[in-house]
Amino acid sequence: MNAFETAAPADGLSRRRGLLVPALILLLVFAALPALLAGFDKGYFYQIANLALIFVLLSASMHLVTGVAGLLHLGHAAFYGVGAYTAALLTSKLGLGFTVTLPLSGLVAALVAFLVALPTMRLVSIYFAVATLAIGQMLYLVMLNWVDFTKGPNGVIVSKGFELFGVSLSGRLAAYYTVATVVTLSVIAIGRLSHSYYGNALRSIREDDQCADAMGVSTVRLKMEAFTLSAFFAGVAGGLWAHMTGYISPGDFKFSESILILAMVVVGGLGSLPGAVIGALLLILLPEGLRALGDFRNIMVGLVMFLSILLLPKGLLGEVSALRLVRQQLGAAWRTTGPANGKGEGIGWR
Amino acid sequence: MTHLLEIRNVSRRFGGVQAVGDVTAHVNEGELVGLIGPNGAGKTTLFNLISGFTPLSGGTVAFAGRTISGMTPNQVARLGISRTFQNLRVFPNMSVFDNVSVGAVGALPQGAFGALFGGLHRRGRDRSAEISRRTWEALEAVGLTHVAAELAANLPYGQRKYLEIARALAMRPRFLILDEPAAGLNDTETRDLAAFIKRLHGQGLTIMLVEHDMTLVMGICQRILVLASGRKIADGTPDAIRTDAAVLEAYLGVDE
Repeated sequence: MNAFETAAPADGLSRRRGLLVPALILLLVFAALPALLAGFDKGYFYQIANLALIFVLLSASMHLVTGVAGLLHLGHAAFYGVGAYTAALLTSKLGLGFTVTLPLSGLVAALVAFLVALPTMRLVSIYFAVATLAIGQMLYLVMLNWVDFTKGPNGVIVSKGFELFGVSLSGRLAAYYTVATVVTLSVIAIGRLSHSYYGNALRSIREDDQCADAMGVSTVRLKMEAFTLSAFFAGVAGGLWAHMTGYISPGDFKFSESILILAMVVVGGLGSLPGAVIGALLLILLPEGLRALGDFRNIMVGLVMFLSILLLPKGLLGEVSALRLVRQQLGAAWRTTGPANGKGEGIGWR
Repeated sequence: MTHLLEIRNVSRRFGGVQAVGDVTAHVNEGELVGLIGPNGAGKTTLFNLISGFTPLSGGTVAFAGRTISGMTPNQVARLGISRTFQNLRVFPNMSVFDNVSVGAVGALPQGAFGALFGGLHRRGRDRSAEISRRTWEALEAVGLTHVAAELAANLPYGQRKYLEIARALAMRPRFLILDEPAAGLNDTETRDLAAFIKRLHGQGLTIMLVEHDMTLVMGICQRILVLASGRKIADGTPDAIRTDAAVLEAYLGVDE
């Protein structure tokens, strides 16, 4: 996707953006697909559709921080977990309903992200990636081991389904529409963030953060914002998941889930929102379609990622090659640890 | 006392190497100043000290009456000092338009809130319209409007040079620092560049130019600073510099 086509919708650069594709997508999500689901009327299909939509949101939120801002994030699933646990615990301990827990899921995840970003955001590239890995593990271990609060490995039962101001939305079709609405609105918001001048400033950090700095872009602040905003949307996805399944446990949010989300963004193409969406659909629906293979189907995830990096360096629709981004980050780490750098030599601070 | 840029006793050490030592200089509003010196004289280091990229070891830098030493590069940039880089640094995976828009949005920030809801109220719309206008203006100034949708990485070398300048111009700077803009250009291209820089200066922009190419510097600059081994050895008009004994010595060596 050419960023030029999508940048700055408001001011004539691309006033004539086609409305056909978005209209078709909305028609598919809100009319054709539910009709199909209602036609088959199998709980399993609803589950798959909802799961795919939730991962579309996770992938889209990671697109913002990794694809656009270029921060290699290896702990995204933990913020998904923070959102899910926020919703689950608010429901089970305080009896709050979905209308209240959903925004709080996002806000608590964003708050946690903001707090952990404070000390880590000045870390350079690859060191930052390692820090997010550690943060993800720490949050996972809290969910697993703080038994008094999170019930540990037993997980938490979420007794309430979807509702809107007291009106239950827990029927199969109503639940699907709830998930679809929240995910669609969130993806539109992420689209506005990434296809704007604000998004261009984030992209410039991905491309060359020192140079972006010289152009007046407050790099540290914008990285914090991208990280926090992406955690907000991951938290929202967690809130959806908690109320959808009615039961969550730490295993849903472990490291391998972070890697799965990263794989979606990489396969779809770093920097492309449609790519992130397609990547999510591919990596959720393909393994489901291959259920006949049993446990071997998980190998498919690895195979798809491997082949995409090998054959499509920029993913399906991406702006940057994933390998290039990693190489650039390693390079940046080496550059900034040289003796020529003024302060904090050797530990990857900038 | 009303110099636009005031450099006082500035120095910078890298380990045991004194890259810049006790340099005092100034740039007046509306001037076109050249900075020359042999390889390793500390020209780029001095630029980095002004633009906040390298912290000072000593001295102060003031811009438009405000002390800017100690500020981060983006703070310095938002005060109106814009720069290009010696080794071309465009954003390769972004379109030409998007590249230049970064300069505009750097000087005139659009926040996350503006990106989300900017279309809904007038101030937000005005802000993006202004960013867009500045971007197109900068593209027009360098003559790259016809490749606005092209990826920066696909441009030929010469156009990427102008792209970098356009990005700096989109910030609407008060003071433009060009770090070796003629490096890698042939004679014709260098002549065109000289004419272009003169035109920018004619529009009232204050410019400082680091350059190896003597004919370029001597041809267009009103005043020239000469650095050698990190120290300022001369400061004067091109004619004065041409005959300055210390400069000849630094460039040609001493006649024993």
